[in-house]
Amino acid sequence: MIAQLLLTAFLALVLVYAWSAHRTVPIIGLLAGGAALAGLYFVWVPEHATALAAFAGIGRGSDLIVYTWVVISLLIMLNLHIKLRLQLDMITRLARAVAIDRAKDMLGQKAEAPPIELQAKK
Amino acid sequence: MTGRIRNPWVVVAAYNEAPVVGTVVSGIRRAGYAVVVVDDGSGDRTGDVALLAGAVVVRHPINLGQGAALQTGIDYALEQRADALVTFDADGQHSPAAIAALLAAIEQPGIDFALGSRFLTGATANLPVSRRILLSAALWFTRASTGLPVTDTHNGLRAMTARGARAISLRQNRMAHASEILHQIAQSRLRFVEVPVNIEYSAYSLGKGQRITDALTILIDLFARRLYR
Repeated sequence: MIAQLLLTAFLALVLVYAWSAHRTVPIIGLLAGGAALAGLYFVWVPEHATALAAFAGIGRGSDLIVYTWVVISLLIMLNLHIKLRLQLDMITRLARAVAIDRAKDMLGQKAEAPPIELQAKK
Repeated sequence: MTGRIRNPWVVVAAYNEAPVVGTVVSGIRRAGYAVVVVDDGSGDRTGDVALLAGAVVVRHPINLGQGAALQTGIDYALEQRADALVTFDADGQHSPAAIAALLAAIEQPGIDFALGSRFLTGATANLPVSRRILLSAALWFTRASTGLPVTDTHNGLRAMTARGARAISLRQNRMAHASEILHQIAQSRLRFVEVPVNIEYSAYSLGKGQRITDALTILIDLFARRLYR
């Protein structure tokens, strides 16, 4: 029962994370949410997990839950990778604006570049 | 200039190209074109050499990649009210004579992009077999993913009208930008033509060029970009 409660708490956190990720990276949100819901179902209906595991040739239902957790972890890693790329996008726009402004200053032109969007996506 | 193009700019992205960028810029200036060199955070004197050779130099404070540098150059040229832009490699493998042919192509009514092709005439000099295999794979992928009937891909020589340049917004900072440009041309529904160009490979340019292992990185970059908004 303690393990079930702990896993439920962890998977509930993953659901919140999936909802948050859904706004920026819809595919990650959907997959992580789906995996977390499946995990919750298997935690509370372990006999179905065992049946599905046997059907898939995994062996035990608990192994299936572990595999589900591994999938969730990989999705979270992918989401972090994508967030890093979004950060790089912002750094690029910032560096570009700085470079163009400096070039204009050197040429004695008034800097008139439009403001760039640096607001991070949530 | 003749025709409707009055203010063409040549955009050169350069990273640690001090040994050759001066010659490249001099050639473009002698051909009569304004040139902006984007020094992509070089550790050598690339920017200074380009400046002395007659280019406007825009310096990235950090190294971001060729795609990012090209977009910076495009943005700068558009701010200078360029009505046509030509992208040109900094490693000396392109000929300034090709610029006129590319610009003539986009002077045709309704054409917004002219893409250099190494395979229209077969006149490309000393193209190594490994490079030919790599380009063939990239070409197959580009045709399949964009639907564009191009004969060459990842060719840095291209021209675009200002309207075409505004339709381009590169977010692939590194080598995948060449595929991204073709994707964006396809999405913009603007018309393009291909123009035969000769590429003069040297030991220097081959040393700086893409390798087969880079193809995997490009594929990952293109895939990852499709996952987020």
